[in-house]
Amino acid sequence: MKTSIGTSLVLHTVLMAWALVSLTPPAPLEVSQAESISVDLVPVDSITQTQQGEKSAPKAEKAAPKPTKKPNIVENAENAGDNDVDLKTPPTPVTKPLKTETAAAPKQNEQPVPNPSQENNEVKDIVPEETAPKPVETAALPTPRPEVTPPTPKPEPAPTPTPAEQPPAEIPLPTSVPLPAARPRPEPPKPQEAKPAEKPAEQKPDTATPAEKPSDKKIADKKQETAKSSASQKSDFNADEIASILNKQEAAGGGAKRSQAPAAAGDKKTIGVGLSASEVDAVKGQIQANWSMVSGLTGVQEVRVRIRVELDVSGNIVGQPEVTATGGPESTRRAVEGSTRRALMKSAPLKNLPVEKYEGEKGWNVLVLNFDPSEFAL
Amino acid sequence: MEQADLAAAVHSVSLWALFMQAGLIVKLVMIGLMGASVWTWAIIIDKSMSFTKARRQFDQFEQVFWSGQSLEDLYRTLAERQNTGLAAIFVAAMREWKKSFERGARSPIGLQMRIDRAMDVTMSRESEHFEARLGSLATIGSAGPFIGLFGTVVGIMTSFQAIAGSKSTNLAVVAPGIAEALLATAIGLVAAIPAVMAYNKFMGDAGKLSARMEGFADEFSAILSRQIDEKLQPRQAAQ
Repeated sequence: MKTSIGTSLVLHTVLMAWALVSLTPPAPLEVSQAESISVDLVPVDSITQTQQGEKSAPKAEKAAPKPTKKPNIVENAENAGDNDVDLKTPPTPVTKPLKTETAAAPKQNEQPVPNPSQENNEVKDIVPEETAPKPVETAALPTPRPEVTPPTPKPEPAPTPTPAEQPPAEIPLPTSVPLPAARPRPEPPKPQEAKPAEKPAEQKPDTATPAEKPSDKKIADKKQETAKSSASQKSDFNADEIASILNKQEAAGGGAKRSQAPAAAGDKKTIGVGLSASEVDAVKGQIQANWSMVSGLTGVQEVRVRIRVELDVSGNIVGQPEVTATGGPESTRRAVEGSTRRALMKSAPLKNLPVEKYEGEKGWNVLVLNFDPSEFAL
Repeated sequence: MEQADLAAAVHSVSLWALFMQAGLIVKLVMIGLMGASVWTWAIIIDKSMSFTKARRQFDQFEQVFWSGQSLEDLYRTLAERQNTGLAAIFVAAMREWKKSFERGARSPIGLQMRIDRAMDVTMSRESEHFEARLGSLATIGSAGPFIGLFGTVVGIMTSFQAIAGSKSTNLAVVAPGIAEALLATAIGLVAAIPAVMAYNKFMGDAGKLSARMEGFADEFSAILSRQIDEKLQPRQAAQ
């Protein structure tokens, strides 16, 4: 027996040793890491019954959107926000557009400036002429055609008549710039003989430039207009500047409905919320106050009345209300139906119904009430 | 603390780690079951050896017995040895025969009865020897799984208490404790299954051997009774 016990022990130790060595823990299960999908459990109420509020805000008894800062401008606005116009789009954050605005505007201004000034001069030359008084135009139009040819061959004779007219102030101009001075000079004197006579007298003390005298008003106008137009046209013709101008206005959506209450959980829009039990009781109370029941009816305890009445926003009854009594004897049922209808008609318009709960499937546009007449009228 | 233990055990689920992290009761159960397994196999080895030896001896003795050799000679050669099995029965019967017959037995029926008694006693002693320790095999075979199950239940209880303490139902927290508890049942089954199989086999073998002994005893008793008749009748006739 001892030998067999020894053999058994040896066998067991060998087996245990083998098991410890070879029976290593099994390879861990390879579980494929499926991406977890976050699921919101949404009760149907959140679609059929929602109140305007802030989605991320904590829940409160009454839902309310984010408090707004500006005074209320738009009446009957539906969408909460600080906008001046009641838009359905939610308010957009302003941080990003601001940055691009400040960075983009200065660079673009440098390039467009030279281009419009050259182009504008050509355009502006025509614009002031059109705006200028008609006699000037009619006088000016004929002049360039015949005179363009004569002034070029006669540069010298042209200056001679002018100095005679305007000797004191014209000394520096002919010497420095003979050619440009020659062109304008012949033009004005011939067609506008009356005007130069008037103008020199007036403008001699004002300006020292005699060559521009005939067209002084025009030129002055031109200068002003070109200045104006260049300022305005810089932005008009440069697409980048247009963009910068557009960016200056904050692209903020949002409605115009202001709210003062602290933000509380709710949806974008009030879709429809059923009347609370206390509100239903309030309506019932109004009807019951007008209830006059014939006493002594048999089996009133078994009668139940169901009222289905369509209401408008102000609580008036629309159409014929449905009053259905069930249970109890036939005569009692009829009496109860009649008294209920009378009570309902008397209590119209129903008061103290919350306007925001009017719309929607559960709103009180169609009000369904159940009465137990035995409770209050015996 | 329990939580930390469980967390540490998550990555070590080898057999030794499972054993070491078990509670005291579960450890005791597992050690006891391992001892039972050792004992079972010791019995299995011992019995299979002794049974083969006994079968060989039976064969040899029957060969010698039926070879026509004189029973007196056979008795003389066997009487000095430590005999087992058929040889022991033969020697016991022959001893009784010698004692009674040589002193001059009066009644052949009394002699026959005494010889049968002597053979019965020897046979029961021999078969008792064959069936010795088979009872413990039966016990291990039937109780082993229950003992293992007890360890498992205790282990699972403690591991669930640990889970309640850690407040986590993560499978990584639950699994090592249950694996450790199930190890107890596994060891119980490891000990019990061979025990049951060996018990059934050895009981059958022991039954066959005792049947063989009984058969031999009956035959030898018949031979002796014939001898008694042959030897006593002339003596009675002479009287």
